[in-house]
Amino acid sequence: MTAILRNESGKLIRSSLLLTGLFGLISVFLFAAFPGFADQAEVVEEAFPPVLAGLFGFEELHTIEGFVGGYLFPLLWILFGGMYFAYVAAGLIVGDVRTRKMDLTLSNPVSRESVVLQKVAALWVPLVVLNAGLILFVLAGVTVLGESIDPIALGMTHLLSVPYLLVCAGIGLVLSVVLDREETAQATALGLVFVLWLIDGLSHLDPALEWIRDLTPSRYFDPTAILVHEEYALADAGILLVTFLALVAVATVIFVRRDI
Amino acid sequence: MPVIRIDDLTKRYGDVAANDHVTFDVEAGEIFGYLGPNGAGKTTTIRLLLGLIKPTSGTAEVLGADIRDRRALTEVKSDVGYLPDTLGFEERLTGRRVLDHFARMRGDERREELLELFRPPLDKPIETYSSGNRRMLGIVQAFMHDPQLVIMDEPTSGLDPLKQDRLHLFLEKERDAGKTIFLSSHVLSEVQRVCDRVGIIRDGELVALEEIETLLGRSGKRVWVHLAEPVDEERFRTDEMIDLEVTDATVQFTYTGEAKTLLEYLVGFDVVDVEIGEPQLDDIFKHYYGDDATVDEESAVTGKDAVSTGEDRVRTGGG
Repeated sequence: MTAILRNESGKLIRSSLLLTGLFGLISVFLFAAFPGFADQAEVVEEAFPPVLAGLFGFEELHTIEGFVGGYLFPLLWILFGGMYFAYVAAGLIVGDVRTRKMDLTLSNPVSRESVVLQKVAALWVPLVVLNAGLILFVLAGVTVLGESIDPIALGMTHLLSVPYLLVCAGIGLVLSVVLDREETAQATALGLVFVLWLIDGLSHLDPALEWIRDLTPSRYFDPTAILVHEEYALADAGILLVTFLALVAVATVIFVRRDI
Repeated sequence: MPVIRIDDLTKRYGDVAANDHVTFDVEAGEIFGYLGPNGAGKTTTIRLLLGLIKPTSGTAEVLGADIRDRRALTEVKSDVGYLPDTLGFEERLTGRRVLDHFARMRGDERREELLELFRPPLDKPIETYSSGNRRMLGIVQAFMHDPQLVIMDEPTSGLDPLKQDRLHLFLEKERDAGKTIFLSSHVLSEVQRVCDRVGIIRDGELVALEEIETLLGRSGKRVWVHLAEPVDEERFRTDEMIDLEVTDATVQFTYTGEAKTLLEYLVGFDVVDVEIGEPQLDDIFKHYYGDDATVDEESAVTGKDAVSTGEDRVRTGGG
């Protein structure tokens, strides 16, 4: 039974393409700024207040790897990408319950567990579209600038970012089965992912805040480490994956038990 | 074995009992009407039967599956059709694609045949549909997998009279072919026209189970009469009128007698205009079943006894 997966996948194509297009546009602006950035990297790194440097995790900004890992990825992927996945997942269940679509869906011989899992599985669409899109944009941007980037490191950055995006989706999904208004669930999911990203960045400032940083998903995905130092934090990605599965399990258990 | 067996089913929301110890059976091959005013608890019962909400106490069986057993209930749903009161379709999809979607989950062997009777504009997106077209698409999806049991919540709402007749005729044919139909309605005449047996619900409680013959004798019409001159209330009133209201030369009442008698009676007055329409169901129920009527459990199960229980109430509760 994959009818729901098929239907939900179709629904996600439009917003995925739209966001990919937006990413393309922002990438153009960011890459256009790189030559100037590289020349003045030292000045930039010094001029930025440590708060902002910490937010993005600047390092080796004058190299293309440092620029992509420390500037482009944190902004486009960790912040916007994470927020998008949280937002989409937050609408998956509560929207259907609210519009009574869920009544019709559940009049079919399909379990509630299957409904949740098929809807989550439909997130393959934005995962594939956004990843493919951004890889293309980065390769194109790097080529136009006459630079080069290790394609394996770039591929690993995308691969290891998937668990991070899934955790953001898991947060949205739990909100989607708990709250009873679609707008509330989506706004809360957006806000929560943003605040978690903020906490991760700001906690660099004070070692006393280090423990709280461990609670933020972006702490377990570091594009600069992958691109600049070729450090692949597989264990961190594993932690994110397990967290995602736990969030999906929690959402499923809640959804199966509740009245709709 | 009954197709639907409802046993002491109760659903509470805080202090409010949306369904209060409801007990009755729906037998195979009948059109069962679930009649009650808006807000009486009809939709609650239906959503309990489909496992969308969980009972506070009591239970029910649908095609032998206990509604508290999620796995069993999911399994029998391939043999159940459902037409909800609010049709939540995927608005951007066309009617055809929505039917394709449902067909993938439960089949559509009767789709073409149904589309000859009920014709929603299949190639237009659902967001452009009128309420009648929505309802027709809902009817097609409810029957297209040829289910044994179809549960319909206010099936004719939004349909024009011609389509309503078509649906009623179709339901009778389905019943004759051995299908079981459970339909809820707040329209007395609809239930009288099409149902074999009727359960009446008020404020969450089942107040009567009637054979349709009994209910046919309990009809009522909302009547407005405009007279040429003001009339005295006492002079106008007959025993068959309830909730009589006289304002100058205009009289409003619910008439529980026969239409012929009423018309003959009205000829005796200088009538300028008359309107006769569907009654307020609640007025009719108050008249026939009293204010605090409930079916006792034993009679509710057998159904036949409930008829006599109902008759008793006419004598005690009749206004």
